[in-house]
Amino acid sequence: MMPLFSLNNVSLFYGKAPIVRDINITFAEKRVICIIGPSGSGKSTLLRTFNRMNDLTPSFECKGSVLFDGHDIYNNGTKVCQLRQHVGMVFQKPCIFPKSIYDNVLFGVRQLYRMKKIEHQQVVEETLKAVYLWDEVKDKLRSSALELSQGQQQRLTIARALAVKPRVILLDEPTSSLDHKSAGAIDALINNLKGEITVIMVTHKLDQARRIADDVVFMCDGMICEAGTSKHIFETPGKSETKCYIKGEEINVPIKGFVSSQVIRLKAEGY
Amino acid sequence: MIRRAKGVIFFSICAIATLIAVSLLFVIVGVIFSKGISAFSVTFLTEESKNFGQTGGIFFQILGTIILITSAGILSLPIALGTAVYQTEYLWPSFRRAASIVLYALNGVPTIIFGLFGYAVFGLLLNVGVSWVSGTFILAIMILPTLTVSIKEAIDSIPVKYRESGLSLGFSKWKLIRVIIIPHSFFGIVTGLLLGLARAAGETAAIMFTATVFSGVNVPRSFLEPITTLQTHILVLAQEALNPQARTNAWGAALALVMIVFFISIVSMFIRSRIRLEAER
Ligand SMILES: Nc1ncnc2c1ncn2[C@@H]1O[C@H](COP(=O)(O)OP(=O)(O)OP(=O)(O)O)[C@@H](O)[C@H]1O
Ligand SMILES: [Mg+2]
Repeated sequence: MMPLFSLNNVSLFYGKAPIVRDINITFAEKRVICIIGPSGSGKSTLLRTFNRMNDLTPSFECKGSVLFDGHDIYNNGTKVCQLRQHVGMVFQKPCIFPKSIYDNVLFGVRQLYRMKKIEHQQVVEETLKAVYLWDEVKDKLRSSALELSQGQQQRLTIARALAVKPRVILLDEPTSSLDHKSAGAIDALINNLKGEITVIMVTHKLDQARRIADDVVFMCDGMICEAGTSKHIFETPGKSETKCYIKGEEINVPIKGFVSSQVIRLKAEGY
Repeated sequence: MIRRAKGVIFFSICAIATLIAVSLLFVIVGVIFSKGISAFSVTFLTEESKNFGQTGGIFFQILGTIILITSAGILSLPIALGTAVYQTEYLWPSFRRAASIVLYALNGVPTIIFGLFGYAVFGLLLNVGVSWVSGTFILAIMILPTLTVSIKEAIDSIPVKYRESGLSLGFSKWKLIRVIIIPHSFFGIVTGLLLGLARAAGETAAIMFTATVFSGVNVPRSFLEPITTLQTHILVLAQEALNPQARTNAWGAALALVMIVFFISIVSMFIRSRIRLEAER
């Protein structure tokens, strides 16, 4: 089977500085992939290459090839808008437009596809059920979405991205600004998406990755240190850095250009 | 001790400066009000002026001012919107600052220059004479920087997450502008427009010899006809220093103009506070 994403010798730059180096990895379709790693290791930068959100930074540059469905997305011929319709994204903080819950769900689809009123209702119900928000909001669809709690807002944000029917959804620490219970609801909805679409999620919380990931990518200092199935990474990690990180111990990462004795100490959160 | 004394002195200077500015405004408004109120009446506002403004009202002058600033606003708005959107969305980031500087510079050009320029273009080159259309163009160009800067500031204050959200849904640039950028800078657009209108309403120099005449016209029946405004009315009546009735009417017209400008400013202030509420959410 052809992999959904396949990265060959990918290096990512902001200006002259390489942020992420020598990435060679493939992602299979319809799996939940978690990217873990210490802060500043380039997780977000890598994630934002999958739908070319990095393009917003003028100094960004991508070397190597990023294939989505066999097509190089950094090729000149790529239609970025179409790519992003297939590869949706949700960020750390919920993003709610000052509109009703109903209109927030439809915000994207309505602009991209011509639909009838009745289809609108179907899409709203379907996606709100998929993110486990339907029961909480079904009686107040027309009231302002700003009245919802943070956790509900984040699920609504995910619903808006899902309504476009993407093949992949990218999540950048979607639960890090939420309390425990709301974060649990998001985990449940990701589990619910399993087998339906591909989820690529960056997270700091190892317990979260352990619970929902099929595959795990461990990044360290701009490189993929180790990648494999969740079972492999969490139970039989191959590298010492991985072992330390998942045990919640400090790992020493040398900074290039500094004297070798200078190291930064990085520690996983959630322990 | 010395530092404290310095603080007190600095505070006093600031307080005095503020007091001067505020009291000056009150004095001006107070004088206009007390002198103009005696001319004010329903008939003054609803009658046409007679006898070269010495008797009668200022109905057509009020109407003329409103027509002129409205047409200038209608002409200026799409240009300003286009300029602001082009500047924030399309222009190369390194040129954006330069474009802003040009706009601010344009804002500082003395209005008489616009008048002279308008006279050269419309009066001499196109030979349309003193006309409504000249005034519309000149005022539209004059308020363009105010309006553009205001819209640009509103666009700049749109949270990045709205932009990112729109783009990540697969919106094209044009869709992003139509669905997110313009709706979310709506209040900025309206405030800018109102500030521009207030500025145009107070303008005399630029339209004095290109668009307005003192008497003999009511409403222009075509774009090529001249128009009469409160500003010109005041200017001419004020020169009739020996005629007390003319002077009283000048004050009355001034009061009407001040009220129009105040009304527009207050509405725009009200809307500006709405923007802040929107931004804080
Ligand atoms: N727009 C940018 N311009 C320049 N450098 C950037 C930019 N964004 C990120 N970086 C740099 O890239 C490196 C990796 O950042 P990135 O946000 O990808 O890390 P991360 O793994 O997501 O960290 P965190 O867990 O804290 O979110 C950091 O050193 C950061 O300073
Ligand atoms: Mg990050």
